Amino acid sequence: MAKQALSFTVNDEAVEVLVQPWDTLLDALRERLGLTGPKEGCGTGDCGACTTHVDGKPVASCLMLAIQARGRTVRTIEGLGRLGALHPLQEAFVRHGVPQCGFCIPGVLMAAAALLAENPRPTPEEIRYGIAGNLCRCTGYTTMITAISEAATAAAR
Amino acid sequence: MTQKTTRDVRGVGLAIPRPDGPEKVTGRVQYVADLQPRGLLHAKLLRSPHAHARIVRIDTSRARALPGVRAVLTAADIPELKKKAPTRSHAVLAIDRVVFVGQPVAAVAADELAIAEEAIDLITVEYQVLPASVDPLKSMQVGAPPVADAGTEADTSEAMAHGAVTVAKADAPPPKAANVSQQSRLHRGDLAKGFAESDFILEQTYRVPMVHQGYLEPHAVLAEWDRTGFLTLWASTQGSFNTRSEVADVLEMSENQIKVIPMECGGGFGGKIRALCEPITALLAKATGRPVRYVMTRREELEAGNPAPQVIIRLKTGVKRDGTLKALEAETVLEAGAFSGAVLAVSAVFLASLYKWPAFEVRGAEVLTHKPSIAAYRAPVAPQTIFAIDSHMEQLARALQLDPVEFRRRHLIAEGDPMANGQPWQSNGGREVLDRIAEHPLWKSRAEWKASGGNGHGLRGTGLALGGWLGGLQPTGATVRLNPDGTVSVLTGQVDIAGTNIALAQIAASAYGVDIEKVRITTGDTDVAPVTGLSAGSKTVYTVGTAVLQAAEDARRQTLQIAATELEAAVQDLELIDGRVSVRGMPDRGITLAQIGKKGNLYMSKVQPVLGVSRPAFSQQAPGFAAQLARIEVDPDTGEVTVHDFVVVQDVGKAINPIGVEGQMQGGAVQSLGMAMTEALMYDDKGRLMNPSLLDYRKLTAADLPDIETIIVEKPSPSGPFGARGVGEPPIVPAPAAIANAVEDATGVRITETPITPERIALALLGG
Repeated sequence: MAKQALSFTVNDEAVEVLVQPWDTLLDALRERLGLTGPKEGCGTGDCGACTTHVDGKPVASCLMLAIQARGRTVRTIEGLGRLGALHPLQEAFVRHGVPQCGFCIPGVLMAAAALLAENPRPTPEEIRYGIAGNLCRCTGYTTMITAISEAATAAAR
Repeated sequence: MTQKTTRDVRGVGLAIPRPDGPEKVTGRVQYVADLQPRGLLHAKLLRSPHAHARIVRIDTSRARALPGVRAVLTAADIPELKKKAPTRSHAVLAIDRVVFVGQPVAAVAADELAIAEEAIDLITVEYQVLPASVDPLKSMQVGAPPVADAGTEADTSEAMAHGAVTVAKADAPPPKAANVSQQSRLHRGDLAKGFAESDFILEQTYRVPMVHQGYLEPHAVLAEWDRTGFLTLWASTQGSFNTRSEVADVLEMSENQIKVIPMECGGGFGGKIRALCEPITALLAKATGRPVRYVMTRREELEAGNPAPQVIIRLKTGVKRDGTLKALEAETVLEAGAFSGAVLAVSAVFLASLYKWPAFEVRGAEVLTHKPSIAAYRAPVAPQTIFAIDSHMEQLARALQLDPVEFRRRHLIAEGDPMANGQPWQSNGGREVLDRIAEHPLWKSRAEWKASGGNGHGLRGTGLALGGWLGGLQPTGATVRLNPDGTVSVLTGQVDIAGTNIALAQIAASAYGVDIEKVRITTGDTDVAPVTGLSAGSKTVYTVGTAVLQAAEDARRQTLQIAATELEAAVQDLELIDGRVSVRGMPDRGITLAQIGKKGNLYMSKVQPVLGVSRPAFSQQAPGFAAQLARIEVDPDTGEVTVHDFVVVQDVGKAINPIGVEGQMQGGAVQSLGMAMTEALMYDDKGRLMNPSLLDYRKLTAADLPDIETIIVEKPSPSGPFGARGVGEPPIVPAPAAIANAVEDATGVRITETPITPERIALALLGG
């Protein structure tokens, strides 16, 4: 099978890239576009480390074929905020020392950002369910809940 | 601006976030799988589908012919391979026999991962399937299918890496059965007399299955050779010097020919100590002359990683009616999988000498089975052992109608008491953490909580448990350098997984007498860093922290000596305040750190540069204890447990960075709860893993948990930097026992096997 041309929007930029028909969106982002922020922790949609926004909704990018993203708008962790201009969620994660090994963090942040877009003032319980698809082995989640709550409260002010 | 002395610089004790946080939250930090050098090839391994089989024939011709395939290797292509692999790391590819499902048999490097995967499918292997030893208790019996090729060899390097206790050789009888690879026996006092004088004897068998360390980043490595025969490995490892040694040993190379660059490590917890996929990746890179990257899939991780051993403990104790301890007898079986490597002696120490048993006998056996070989997992074997002994203490207290905290406290060891192996217990905070749990409102109100159960609620209960870790030791080095602008650079080879570098920098700041903002710490590769130990055994801050402390003190000493010469004053009259050395009482006579640093860097200068060096070795451990408290509710119909509150109290000696310490306590507690409630690698009778995905190997999610409350206790260690103790491992220890104790409090049933699932509780409630 021949490679396919994929045109879509990634982090506010129009992008065209050649992908294999079997490439996942995660493969395309990481291997073809060099956006290695989204991580592959399982490849089967169980860990959430690859969570990426497609048309504003969080998806497990390891479960979506790259060509399904044709014409759509994708945002990765690289497009959430950047050094010097962090997203409030990122700032709160830094302030609370949330990242330990850090491997789950991009996925957790993208899940949290999607949650806040839908529900700007979530309860701690809602936050816990909002990131329940993201496994973390280091933190025990407590500081994540605190940091997400704080970012939501700050944004509402 | 306030003046600062050495004693109140911004350093040790500050709750400051790690400086690489912004890199981590923006996805910029690089793990091995993120590296994409020019000419990169992708590796894939063909793995055995059988737990035990003879390899009759391997045909790789179709794989070799596939376009895009650059190398196909089998054991026949690797002359360095030893017929009888002394360790799992040496078993790079199976030679003529496979001994666990998932054992690598052939390897491919190709232009694209998809091509490598296709090539793997084109390799045909003819196996003659052999009977497998899957159950450790059956595997111990004479006549069981043998796992090792000829006899068995104990591999105790894991225990040594963790600085764990060792058992006197004379006390360990030689192995008897074919699949028993290590044995130990520790005893004291008259066991028969102790049981004869007991009023109450309790015997139970506790079982904790194999569990996976669960790091979210799978094993990964990138290998590349240069034209002069030097190998560079970009590794996800807990210890780059250890990885270098093991790879050199397996590939029969000089360590000087290998450079290990430790990349960001996406979690290890003991599972990324031993070389697992580095040797085969290096061989593929050599065969192709190209950089080769290998990343394990999650299925491969679960099927063929190096998990924690299954631990089966039969425990029998005798006590007097008034609670006096009389005798303890225990038999521990550690299932090691296909290669030896379990830490046997830790179990004996915690079983027999956490509480003061006047007579005891603890026998231990490491048993090989046809499963993936095991490795360390955060406080190896301690949670499993504490599950047995603490569950037992709780049942004894209940049977004798004694207060469970008071019963534990009365018999708990203190500093100087002998451990089971005869060595004295070092200073520790076991009693203090128990005291803090006992005064916690959740413990004090446990009767009210229990009484509020039923009536539309589930059954309610509270449980506590006490556990700990002895603390690892390993020689290590560090340097501290003064820069020409007055800032300070710290260099070690320490892999920073959890945020230890900020704590080490804080130690350097306080020891040198400069603010933390002036200190930068770097983890060097094996070519440039001083030899540094593993990030394991709860020993980074304790040992590398000591090296950094001493190197910073050395740098301070050099700094003051230079200043004394320059200022024509005596060293003892000098003080270092706000980056400036001055003569005490004469603030005008001074020289800044920047001036001293510049003088050490000037052309034709006669002033030596400041370079503090330390390279300590250690002999004294600093045990760390943690107590945990669980307030739970059990659905009496389904057996489902809801954890409403969970408290961790831990003696950390000195919290060098409270953010990091609390992160360890919370994360460790949740791993402990996972072991308690949901996690198990489940095998069928053919030795095949039945739950090889993260959907079926169930780790706890945010929705399963309450906030974890942390209470830091600081009983200074006499030997650690600023009194610090190891922090990482103690919090993973108590929860299996704490949850079992809470379940009994709520329901009256005692669960003796983890995970404590709804099914187990519901069946127990039915009397089944």
